[in-house]
Amino acid sequence: MAAPLYTTASGLLFHAGKILILTVGLPARGKTHISRALERYLRWMGVKTQVVSLGDYRRKTLGGTKKLPPDYFTLGEKSPETMALRKMVSDGCEKLIEDFFEAGGQVVIYDANNGSRTTRQALAEKYDKQGIHVIILESVCDNKEIIETNIRNVKISSPDYRGWDPDKAVEDYYGRIRDREKSYETVEETTWPFIRIINVGEKIMVNNIRGYLQSRIVFFLMNIHNRPRMIYFARSGQSLIEHSYKADSDLSPAGWEYAERLKEFVVERRAKSLEQRGFDPNDRRLVIWTSTRRRAHHTAWPFLTPTHSTSIPQQLPLAAAAPPQSAVARNVVTTDEAGELTETKATADSSLKVKVIEKTQMSEINPGVWDGLTPDQARKFYSEEWARFVKDPYAFRAPRAESYHDLSVRLEPILIELEREKEDLLIIGHSSVIRCLLAYLIGLPASEIPAIEIARGDLLEVVPTSYGVHSQAFHFWDGPGRRGEGVDGDGDQEEGEVGKSRRDETNFYENYAEDTKGKKRMTAMDIGFLSPSMREGGEGAMADGT
Amino acid sequence: MDHTNEDHNRVHFPILSSELTAALGAIEDMADGTDAVPDSVVRGRPPAIFRAGGPMLKQFDQSTASSRKGSQAPTPPRSVVGIGNKVAKPDYSEAKIVLAMVGLPARGKSYLSNKLMRYLKWLEYDVQVFNVGQLRRSRAHHKAQQSGILEDHTSSYFSHNNVEATKLREQLAEDSLEMLIRWLKRGGNVAIHDATNSTRMRRAKISARVAKEKGMSVIFLESICNDPAVIAANVALKVSSGDPDYKDLPREVAERDFLRRIKEYEAVYETITEPHLSYLRITDIGNEVTLSRINGYLQSRIAFYLMNLHVKPRNIFLSRHGESQYNVEGRIGGDSPLSERGLAYAHALPELVRNNIGDAPLIVWTSTLQRTIQTAGELPYPKLTWKSLDELDAGVCDGMTYEEIEQAYPEDFANRDEDKFNYRYRGGESYRDVVVRLEPVIMELERQENILIFGHQAILRCLYAYFHDLPQADLPYINVPLHTVIKLTPKAYGCDEERYTLPIGAVDTHRPKPGSTLSPPDVVPASTTKREYFGTNI
Repeated sequence: MAAPLYTTASGLLFHAGKILILTVGLPARGKTHISRALERYLRWMGVKTQVVSLGDYRRKTLGGTKKLPPDYFTLGEKSPETMALRKMVSDGCEKLIEDFFEAGGQVVIYDANNGSRTTRQALAEKYDKQGIHVIILESVCDNKEIIETNIRNVKISSPDYRGWDPDKAVEDYYGRIRDREKSYETVEETTWPFIRIINVGEKIMVNNIRGYLQSRIVFFLMNIHNRPRMIYFARSGQSLIEHSYKADSDLSPAGWEYAERLKEFVVERRAKSLEQRGFDPNDRRLVIWTSTRRRAHHTAWPFLTPTHSTSIPQQLPLAAAAPPQSAVARNVVTTDEAGELTETKATADSSLKVKVIEKTQMSEINPGVWDGLTPDQARKFYSEEWARFVKDPYAFRAPRAESYHDLSVRLEPILIELEREKEDLLIIGHSSVIRCLLAYLIGLPASEIPAIEIARGDLLEVVPTSYGVHSQAFHFWDGPGRRGEGVDGDGDQEEGEVGKSRRDETNFYENYAEDTKGKKRMTAMDIGFLSPSMREGGEGAMADGT
Repeated sequence: MDHTNEDHNRVHFPILSSELTAALGAIEDMADGTDAVPDSVVRGRPPAIFRAGGPMLKQFDQSTASSRKGSQAPTPPRSVVGIGNKVAKPDYSEAKIVLAMVGLPARGKSYLSNKLMRYLKWLEYDVQVFNVGQLRRSRAHHKAQQSGILEDHTSSYFSHNNVEATKLREQLAEDSLEMLIRWLKRGGNVAIHDATNSTRMRRAKISARVAKEKGMSVIFLESICNDPAVIAANVALKVSSGDPDYKDLPREVAERDFLRRIKEYEAVYETITEPHLSYLRITDIGNEVTLSRINGYLQSRIAFYLMNLHVKPRNIFLSRHGESQYNVEGRIGGDSPLSERGLAYAHALPELVRNNIGDAPLIVWTSTLQRTIQTAGELPYPKLTWKSLDELDAGVCDGMTYEEIEQAYPEDFANRDEDKFNYRYRGGESYRDVVVRLEPVIMELERQENILIFGHQAILRCLYAYFHDLPQADLPYINVPLHTVIKLTPKAYGCDEERYTLPIGAVDTHRPKPGSTLSPPDVVPASTTKREYFGTNI
């Protein structure tokens, strides 16, 4: 919920009215993945959005598969009891939909199979009469691999199959799909606007889509995918002068050390995570995004240079000049805005395929007149503004500065590219930027963005899953600058531990994040708790978020 | 610390300790001297420590210069000497897309082609439209001049039954496609094949031809128009705007012939249904869109852009803020209030706007800086404040005069003039950065109807360049004077422009490119709405 450009009295944005998106598709076609991703994005745009998941509702009210009557999912004549149960579940979902619209919601994504034309028609007509725009969103998969992966990774770990033998569960699930396939009617009717997504974003067909919000939805859907990947976040290294936006200063010695350490740790951590998930790290590329600020793209430098290089590469490092002990990738840095365009030239023996891209939109938050001031100075000289900042640190814009809201708006194209990126991604960024991106991925409300603590020396690992993201923080570095100590803290390792007394008093936004007690320190536990993936039994992740 | 590491450090920061001391000294000086810095007290407040142009920042900058050089990335972007740096053009070298139009005559194909071209060029893609009609006309023209034989290009030429002409037209389409592919191979990104491409057979040919080229893909873009009023307007434009096909013909005759030509096409027209093609179908410009098999980043952007277009008549007004106090002092950037003359401009605006637009709805956009908000202050229309419309951030040079910049950072000053579009102020932005940040504004502008934008010089230059399709190199030198409202009226092939200069004096903040006697971009393009009938490619 971060970036509406304006607000309206009705709470509805973009003159789009209320929208009900009905998902259509056989089980394990990525409907939930698409629904959740769309929900996250629309919420971030400020549109009040809610996924209503029939499966989740059924599990919540009736329990897992084993508690259901045997004819619940099978084809053919059902007993009156089962019919009543099914009706109760769908009525319950419709009630949720109506409640949400009544409470001022704008978009509901009804995540259900909706495989029968008459069901769809009845639903659509009912809500159309209430003045709600109905869009049919069909997800079709002809790629068996995607379906199988989806079943293995998502479905059998769902509460329905708690305690089942995995292979039996998969078989049972395939059985469920087969029965549905017999009665499934693909969307051919053109009564309602519809979007058909083939293989989760591989192809897309759109019909009768009108208006900005709807075109935005299509644009978003065109850019998502569910290829497994990892997203990492790390701060840039300590710079010679930490608290000036304008100085654009370079890394300090500790910063360079940090950069080296970061590379080692990312390589190690990523290899572990990929192996856990059954991937070979050597097959995959790592894309690194940085801002155009020196300290950010220089932090990515070790990724491009031989591990223990003793020479400054003047041009592209040549394979011949590389030291023998480590495999070297010859890589290309681009200043590209759109991504995906420059091929990495990696040597044959390379163990690390890396591409570094600088993005102008990823500069840190602009502190305006507060540039270089300590919080004390700001409070003293700009008492009025300071009071407003403390009251609403997300929306308040100091003179000449950007608010977090402005920053979120600026980062919007980055989010689309983030969704699009198929390779593993490492974002080396400024903490303000990481805050916004992380809040988007995790689905945190905007008001919490300024308080997210991003410690230098932590690597955040975010793994997109079908219900949201799974995130973890790994601590890898304790040197100077970890929590904003001044450059003079160099070398004294003992005090490096979370020492409030030693932090840099001038580091404005960081101090704010650290000082907000009881708020988010991004540890593995916290993030896990916030992650919607932990709530899959509920009726909707972050249901309290609106 | 082992030997390798030591070595490593030495290489990265050769004179580390001394420069760190200098930097720290600079910081301490600044901390001590906060209250003593004269001349910068804005609204009775102390300056920021890293006040733009402040001597401390400069001192710091010099003290760390060697460390910066040592840590330059091995490939661009390379920092230029001094404070700012220059950024290379984004690398789009692998984007190679053929966009083939499909549609009956007078369905807005050329309109869409030109619009897309302008948008993508503005985003620095290399784009060219290959118009088959242009090729036909210029070849016929050429032939007529050489041999005196006038080809008959009336409707019978376009009849499917005219075997001879059909063959000729096939040949033209193929030649045009070959030219287009050659151009893409030479480094273009998006080539638009502007022709009717109305049959399955023709499309199959195009698709087969492009498939032979590695790395190229083709998207068909079909424009369907069901609104008779829009078609009639398109037809009228066609026959009345000097199309050489209808030279010396009375209007009615021309119109009749053109309608017959459409009939000829309709007879064989097949809308796209081929399931294996990637296509985008637009019905009544932006009202309804069908996408099929569209993937890729650029493709999705094109689709999103096309979904946001409309053709309702409207005006876009651009105006800089009234003269500000910084303008008077010759300073750049800042957030100063209006001067007295600037206030007079703000006061005179409501009448000017009302005279122009009457009772039509209008939305006013301003930046977040007070000079634009003040300028819009007296206008009785809904207003929207955009952070993205703020002036180009001059970083360390913010608040300085050009003379001061020249004195403090002489090399930068020179570098900037060398390549003003790419020059990024230290801690600030380049024109290219501004273009990136304005992209969402352009998208929103395409969706809206009457809009009045109060912006800043650099911002309006970027927006203006989008509407008039001006090249990046000229963009930073476009003359956007103070106290002038520029009215742009989007038309089929560009924008009509009118300027209203209020008789309220203001300083001139325009700096022409030094050493250049030519100043074409300073000249206002009177109108870019004229259609090119012959094109440049023969």
